[in-house]
Amino acid sequence: MTATTPTPRTTPTDPATTVTAVPTTAAVATAASVGNKPNGQSIIDPVNRIEGHLRIDMEVKDGIVDDVWISGGLFRGMELVLEKRRTADAAYISQRICGVCPVSHAHASAIAGDKSYGITIPNGARIIRNLVEGAQFLHSHILWFYNLAALDYVNPLNALSADVAETVKLANSAGTTEADFAGLKARLKAFADNGQLSIFSGNWFDSKELDGSSAYKLPAELDLIATMHYLEALEMQATASEISGIIGGKMPHIMTSIPGGSAFVPTEEKLDDLLFRAIKLRDWVKNTMIPDTLAIVPFYMDEFNYGGNAGNYIAWGVFEAPSFKPEERYLPGGVWSFKEPGYQQVQNWDEELITESTIHSFYDPAIDNGTPIKPRQGITAPLYKDEYMVPNGQHPAQGARYTWDKAPRYDNKVFEAGGLARLLVAYNRKVPEIVEGIDNVLKALGAEGRVELLNSTMGRTGARNIETLYVATKMVDWVNELIEAIKGGNAATFIEPATRTGEGAGMWEAPRGALYHYMKIKDDLIEKYQIIIPSSWNISPRDGDDRHGPMEESLLGCPVEDVAKPIHALRAVHSFDPCVACAVHVSEPATGRKFSVVTNPWGVK
Amino acid sequence: MVETQANVARLDELLERKGVTRRRFLEFCGAIAVSLGLSEALIPTVHEAIAESVIGKETGALTPVIWLELASCTGCTESFAQVDTPDVATVVLELISLNYSETLSAGAGFSLEEAKEQTIEAGGYLVVIEGALMEGWDGNALRIANEKGTEIVKHACANAKAVICAGSCAVDGGWQAGYPNPGGAIGIQSFLTREQAAGSFTYKGGDGNLPPIINVPTCPANPEHMVAVIVDVLLVGKLPDLNSQNKPSLIFSQYIHDNCPRRGHFENGEFVYQFGSEEEKKGYCLYAMGCKGPQTKNNCPIVRWNRRVSWCVEAGAPCIGCAVSDPATTKNNWVDLNAPFLKRFRNLNIGDIRLQPATLAAAVGGIAAVLLVAHAFGMKATGRTKGGADFERQRKWDMQHPDRAIASAPAVTGGASEEDNGTPAATAAENEESKADSKEGGTQ
Amino acid sequence: MAHLAHYRQAHPITFVITHWVNLICMVMLVLTGFIIHYPFIPGVMGAARGVHICCAFVILLNLIYRIVAAFFVKSAPTGGTREVEKDIKSFLPQKDNRHQLGAWIKYYLFLKKDHPLGAKYGVPQKLTYDAIPLLLLCIAFTGFCLWVPTSNAPLFVGFTDLVGGIMNVRIIHYFLMWVFIIFIMLHAYLASIEGLAPLRMMFRWKEHKGLVYSPESHTIVGEDKGEEDNKEKS
Repeated sequence: MTATTPTPRTTPTDPATTVTAVPTTAAVATAASVGNKPNGQSIIDPVNRIEGHLRIDMEVKDGIVDDVWISGGLFRGMELVLEKRRTADAAYISQRICGVCPVSHAHASAIAGDKSYGITIPNGARIIRNLVEGAQFLHSHILWFYNLAALDYVNPLNALSADVAETVKLANSAGTTEADFAGLKARLKAFADNGQLSIFSGNWFDSKELDGSSAYKLPAELDLIATMHYLEALEMQATASEISGIIGGKMPHIMTSIPGGSAFVPTEEKLDDLLFRAIKLRDWVKNTMIPDTLAIVPFYMDEFNYGGNAGNYIAWGVFEAPSFKPEERYLPGGVWSFKEPGYQQVQNWDEELITESTIHSFYDPAIDNGTPIKPRQGITAPLYKDEYMVPNGQHPAQGARYTWDKAPRYDNKVFEAGGLARLLVAYNRKVPEIVEGIDNVLKALGAEGRVELLNSTMGRTGARNIETLYVATKMVDWVNELIEAIKGGNAATFIEPATRTGEGAGMWEAPRGALYHYMKIKDDLIEKYQIIIPSSWNISPRDGDDRHGPMEESLLGCPVEDVAKPIHALRAVHSFDPCVACAVHVSEPATGRKFSVVTNPWGVK
Repeated sequence: MVETQANVARLDELLERKGVTRRRFLEFCGAIAVSLGLSEALIPTVHEAIAESVIGKETGALTPVIWLELASCTGCTESFAQVDTPDVATVVLELISLNYSETLSAGAGFSLEEAKEQTIEAGGYLVVIEGALMEGWDGNALRIANEKGTEIVKHACANAKAVICAGSCAVDGGWQAGYPNPGGAIGIQSFLTREQAAGSFTYKGGDGNLPPIINVPTCPANPEHMVAVIVDVLLVGKLPDLNSQNKPSLIFSQYIHDNCPRRGHFENGEFVYQFGSEEEKKGYCLYAMGCKGPQTKNNCPIVRWNRRVSWCVEAGAPCIGCAVSDPATTKNNWVDLNAPFLKRFRNLNIGDIRLQPATLAAAVGGIAAVLLVAHAFGMKATGRTKGGADFERQRKWDMQHPDRAIASAPAVTGGASEEDNGTPAATAAENEESKADSKEGGTQ
Repeated sequence: MAHLAHYRQAHPITFVITHWVNLICMVMLVLTGFIIHYPFIPGVMGAARGVHICCAFVILLNLIYRIVAAFFVKSAPTGGTREVEKDIKSFLPQKDNRHQLGAWIKYYLFLKKDHPLGAKYGVPQKLTYDAIPLLLLCIAFTGFCLWVPTSNAPLFVGFTDLVGGIMNVRIIHYFLMWVFIIFIMLHAYLASIEGLAPLRMMFRWKEHKGLVYSPESHTIVGEDKGEEDNKEKS
């Protein structure tokens, strides 16, 4: 963690008026007590710059979100498609659930396959899988921060008014990289002169705070820098995907990670291709992404006030260590909570404690009757009725089913998954680079030791960038590990299974959080398949006890200045990096095939 | 879908909600322009941009594009974002005006739907569709902005210059249409064809034709292909040549196998039989591992992936045929047609049984062989092994229908069995009769 | 000896040769087909494909020749005779076989003890032989759908699209091959249970004495005890 040696910044335009002091709970109340206080329904549908179709339906009272319903709008039925296919096919097909984190799905599926075969993959395959997974993490995190989330904070159109000389000065003082700012400005001007807004169509750049000030607080010069790095990030995420492409054949949807190891054979000629891309990425994350984060965050300190929730975190762990123990993975698995008794010390996870509730989801009530079910016993069946349709202008009724997503719980408690969850588990497991990273960043922001601040929109956002640096650093280590393994003749990549009947769960991490694939196979044919996706944890609807999911809870209390553009809510949603297409899916009933299709409003089969 | 109204009326409604009068709004625009450091002369432009539409000018140098994500994994967008000829920023800033994209657009929610609506109203745009359309539960398996995907597609395609189906899912449902197709996935071309036949979709100015549809399969769509289709259309000014399945024929008319760098090993008979083997290290052909390159039409070996660093076969993975697709039906999606991927054949689905054609054929062949062996024992047991049983003397049917018999019993009995039929030898007279018969009838 | 005499007139030399060509081509096609389907013998893929395609054309030309020759060459329409007619008549319905299908099936199922009377080709045999050219054309057609130089021709593309893609064409081609394999098995078996005489006739063109059958009276009319040089003369 040598990268973050942040220095206090002085910027040409004085940000002092916009940077609040590190907030306290009291600050929220005062912030909310000024300006207009809108009432009524606020909907974000579709939520953009995420994967999939997500609907946020909020009830706003006096400018504050009072209640919220999050709905996933898509059903595809992955598990049913996987049934009766070959074990290895699952790794290929199941990753198509998500084009952003296909590698994680391939790996969770492959691990479930490895366990069903009763094998441990050889050392070379372990390192290769870590490398391609890491490349995907870098791709996903870089793309997410610069190209998806940043537009909540950065206004590229505002960069038109930046002074180029000042921008260079600002870049130098912020410790981030310089580039052809004048060229970019000219490019943006040509774009603006044409008049068409392209990806900025229908933008929210005119959003305002409750006090009437602009919700986009960056000085034009910083907007220009961030826009420049938006473009660089597009290059860098592609570079990260080139590593996935070298190992996996193509990205998205890699081809080589399958049960038994990897189909990729690391020959010597490939090593330099991997190593120098990894180094390039690490240096860019260190020299650009982290300084950018530290330059932008001070303008949005109020986002530390919003987006918090109960503060329970779950991570299955990712990046396999030679021991193959989940708690020793490079980003270790574990369960940890700020407040929940029994989890304030990090615990190893126990698959048996996972349950899923469908009482608020579009599943057949006759089959699940609302009882939370262990995933291995999943007996849910999808069922949509027209009565579930919520008319415009209304919220879902009390107790209504309102999403295709299910409500997973661990030990009957609400848990958040994702980069923040992984980081807090790693922090509490004392992974040195992570401890150093979090401590340094908090110190740089003037909040030394206040880890609880991470339970917020900005905490989640920043944590992901700390993780990016960690993974980028590790990537270089793993390529070197691979080189050593090849030198030492310990780089076998594939093992043939002796038996092809069994069952097993692949518990792994996608960039968006804890990912669970379970399969039961007989003679290499899949009899049962189950998936619990990270975003299922996060965008979970209410459960049988009417407890909100983590993201719903995070939105409660968010200030809303304009019900048409609830920017703080959007930032909170984006901080979870939700991935919805994969979150909504169906499990195969334990008691034979049961799959209902309703062709008329009341015709339940 | 947002109701279509005059732009000004919509703006007023928006302002009214915010409690802003129109006059105050114009002042506000002026203030923005000043704060943006723009000259006064530019103010009308900015005003126009903000007040008249959320998509900017309705005319401009760039072709407007609506990129719809249906039941997608966003992989095609992700894939597109990695292109470098040109890079995606150049595409969205200088080549097209991407007015609606769920992944790249800065806006969200209402204002973005508004942008889409304005683009559709203005016309002259391209629609890129990523992901399958879901028809399950009367279309409720896919809802965006509180509207069914089926309605969104019809609305967006009705006024489009062309519809580009990006990725196998949009072409024929892709993996989501894989058996048992739980969400009712369907490709865009089949859907629009059917809806048009049913009278519930009309392409404006199409004279009863569908909008031009360009199918660009592969999972995900190769960004080089997407750029070729979108940008080259803009550069050349016409749609690419399409084959019988509306796929660009330059891209989808040759087998991967024919352009594969490992083809030499195939011809030499040098194959990989196990992952991680010496053969794999040598880069031998993956045919024996179930490679679907020989039956998948695509130019992957030429354009490659991820800025040309590699492609599936080069990385050591047999092709799984993700570009196989058939816009006319959902049944021939690449998953059903190619899985299991590591076998040479797809599986046959017979009820709940999955088996390989080779297994079935060998089983039938085996049964035939066993029956023949059993029959041979029967031959032995019945003493027919020495050149078969003795001939019958007379056809049984002839015996039962003497009036219509084609031949009577032979005069010379030879080796024919006598005891079996039990009928006495036919008389010579009968024999003569039969000869006469046969001459009349002639040989047939 | 209970079988009919085997005279060369039944199988003129030209058809002995086409039979040899068929045999060799089919065996080679099946063998190379299996190698092409899965290269269980490494190192011969190029050769296997070359032989496969070559044999495919040879067997097709042979088929055409066989069909044309059937209209010009004369052969004995039944066993046990030296009388000849146009060969094609052996492949059309013959009076000798009338009403005999049931008898053949019963005989093969051991429900009938004695050998049914019939023409040169018994009823099931004739049905099979008549199906073979059709099957050959089908398998060749699917082969052309698969063979790259012809696969893009509209006719073949149309069929490929119709059956849902090249994978399905491959499966059809493969199943058709098994039809031939099963045919060869049955054919070889049924021919050899008649004793070695038919084999010697078909492969070595050697005659064999036996019962004499009259195509006129449609029945066995005697037995050729045979002078040894009988076959040499004819």
